Amino acid sequence: MSFLYDDGHMAIATESRRVLDARMNKDRLLKLLEQVGHYDEPFWQTAIEQGWTALAIPEEHGGLGLRLIELGLVAQATGAHTAGAPFLTVGYGAARGLLHGTDESLKEEWLPQLASGEKIATVALADASAPLPSASSVRFENGMLTGTKNAVVGGLRADVALVWAQHGEEPALFLVDLSQAARNPVNSFDNSRLYADLVFDGTPARLVADGTARQIALETLAAMAVVSAHEQLGGAEELLMMARDYALTRRAFGQPIGAFQSIKHKIAELYGLVELARANCIHAAASEGRENYLLAAADARIAATEAYDTAARDCTQIHGGIGVTWEQGLHLHMRRARSLAIEQGNLMFWEDLLVEQMTGVAA
Amino acid sequence: MSDYDSYRAAARAWLQSMASEFGKEARRGLSEEQDLALGRRYLAKRYDAGYGGIHLPVEFGGRGLSHVEKLIFDIEEMGFGMPIVYFSISLGMPVPIIIRFVEDREWVRERVVKALRGEEIWCQLFSEPAGGSDLAGLRTRAEPDGDGWKVNGQKLWTSWAQYADYGIMVARTDPTVPKHKGLTYFWVNMHAPGVKVRPIKLAEGGHDVNEVFLDDVRLEDAQRMSPVGGGFGVAMATLMIERYAATDSNGFGPSLDNLVELARGLEINGKPALQDGRVRSAVARNHAMRAGLDSITTRAMLSMQAGKEPGPEGALNKLFSVRSRQKLSEFAIDLQGEKGVSFDPDGLFTEDWTTSWIAAPTGRIAGGADEMLLNTIAEKILGLPQDHRPDKGIPFNQIPA
Repeated sequence: MSFLYDDGHMAIATESRRVLDARMNKDRLLKLLEQVGHYDEPFWQTAIEQGWTALAIPEEHGGLGLRLIELGLVAQATGAHTAGAPFLTVGYGAARGLLHGTDESLKEEWLPQLASGEKIATVALADASAPLPSASSVRFENGMLTGTKNAVVGGLRADVALVWAQHGEEPALFLVDLSQAARNPVNSFDNSRLYADLVFDGTPARLVADGTARQIALETLAAMAVVSAHEQLGGAEELLMMARDYALTRRAFGQPIGAFQSIKHKIAELYGLVELARANCIHAAASEGRENYLLAAADARIAATEAYDTAARDCTQIHGGIGVTWEQGLHLHMRRARSLAIEQGNLMFWEDLLVEQMTGVAA
Repeated sequence: MSDYDSYRAAARAWLQSMASEFGKEARRGLSEEQDLALGRRYLAKRYDAGYGGIHLPVEFGGRGLSHVEKLIFDIEEMGFGMPIVYFSISLGMPVPIIIRFVEDREWVRERVVKALRGEEIWCQLFSEPAGGSDLAGLRTRAEPDGDGWKVNGQKLWTSWAQYADYGIMVARTDPTVPKHKGLTYFWVNMHAPGVKVRPIKLAEGGHDVNEVFLDDVRLEDAQRMSPVGGGFGVAMATLMIERYAATDSNGFGPSLDNLVELARGLEINGKPALQDGRVRSAVARNHAMRAGLDSITTRAMLSMQAGKEPGPEGALNKLFSVRSRQKLSEFAIDLQGEKGVSFDPDGLFTEDWTTSWIAAPTGRIAGGADEMLLNTIAEKILGLPQDHRPDKGIPFNQIPA
């Protein structure tokens, strides 16, 4: 389903962008790259203060009751700034998983705390390279989890995690208090993502959803992928504008480099990828809860990943030597393009899911 | 149901009632002359049913509705494979442009109605051997001749000129000024003495396009549609009409569902082709691209329905859809292995991958080559500089050939 943003949507887009333009700082983000276990606290404080943590949580659970469309617009603004904390996406994913689960007491306990930002949540669905495995190596027995989830985004700082773990024959969704799990830091190329191996060794966990868990997990993954896609779109669009502006001001051989077709066509192609990503993001966000939602989410994810990766590659190339310096910071986007491409399911996963949704044939 | 929804439903119902007589099955195996005759009959019925000239003013024989209804009808009609291709240029650009720029209103009304009914066809005499993408580089001369004009030169790639009764034309009236400033816009009677049309056979086997030779062709001054020297502006206005043209995320080739059905019957390494990662990747990437274009089109329609100008991203459609159709057609041929070499001379490019493939290069060149579309996006949307143009500001007759 496609639609036109209304004035309310545009206000969310411009206001979130305005706040971040005023408060974000590239040097702060650059420092975080060389430290494991730290995130950009000013950004996260801004997110809480602006109500972004509450945005897509229903009002009866302490949220603002808005939807994926609005959260997507905020994610687009954070993506433009390579915001230095991953919790907007995974926090929403955890809340969404709880909301669609069967345990009312878990909702009552956790959703208001996630909405207010008092507590931070993440989601650990993947096993090794499988974003949503048909069997998990992490097992649930006697109320406890045992096993390891690798490179969980936000894992170093989250208070609680929604975990995909084996429950008898099938995997199910569990909520785990991470104060009782071991976190092994993963040194990564994008360290403010706070990746950690979460090691469970008889860690108490509560069942969120059993029978329909796979559908809930898949739809939660899709919702997070759509938020991520908006973030990717925001990053890609920012890079498009940076490439355009640089091509207008940088001169070589007696003219702006943007007058050379090898440069201007690269930028025009990028514009195309950004607009395809935007169109798919709008369509996917508005399709939540409708027929073909998973298909729309896959379209958005694929288009946004291609747009951001290409933008990172080409914008850097257009900048020449300055583009590869530490200080100039384009590598913040280059790194983020790749970390976002991996989080919430890689391209292979979404390509396969799309074709399965479209044709009924599994990979 | 909104007014637009009911308009769509009524249009679809009418089209369905016409499909058996005029649709793609009825056309199979017809010669081009027979197909054209069928097309003329279809246009007459379409006009009588109220679907001719949907967005054109009532006083010129149109229905006086908006571009939205026109687009709704065109999009619905596209799926039926009606014989309308011979009239697409005629009704697309020349007819709206004579309404705007020809003064004799009675004459215009007569032409418009005949064109809408398929009784007359117009062509667009723009491109030349020396000027395609660089339209203002054209060399056809129009010189004063008493109280009128005399035209000499050659046009090229003129679609359906072999069936045309009239044409709109840009010619050079002053070679001593820079190239954009020395052009004037006229209409031409294609049956006038001195007009000779020669069809060109294209690589795909069709001959939609022509060379048109103009040899001392006499024009009255009333056939002039722009101020003398003001032809380039009217030419740009003509090309701008296309921004409301119906688009197709399939790039006017086969649908992605068509590829999936083809793949269902095939194996790779002894396994179903649809389980092969390369096939899945190609299907998924194309799906995402086409879904994006569809969403852009839907939002453009919603904008127009809300009385707003659609966003500039509509300019992406032809570039992305036709280019990817070319690659996907290659892929579909590959997928069939040695069976892929077979060729159906009656194949439709919207249904048959080989026909789609061999005609795809034409699509990437006609109506704005990929490179020109990229320039337009870069310059008009992103504000990037024009290319270096060594002929800029130089009188046309002093530009080195």
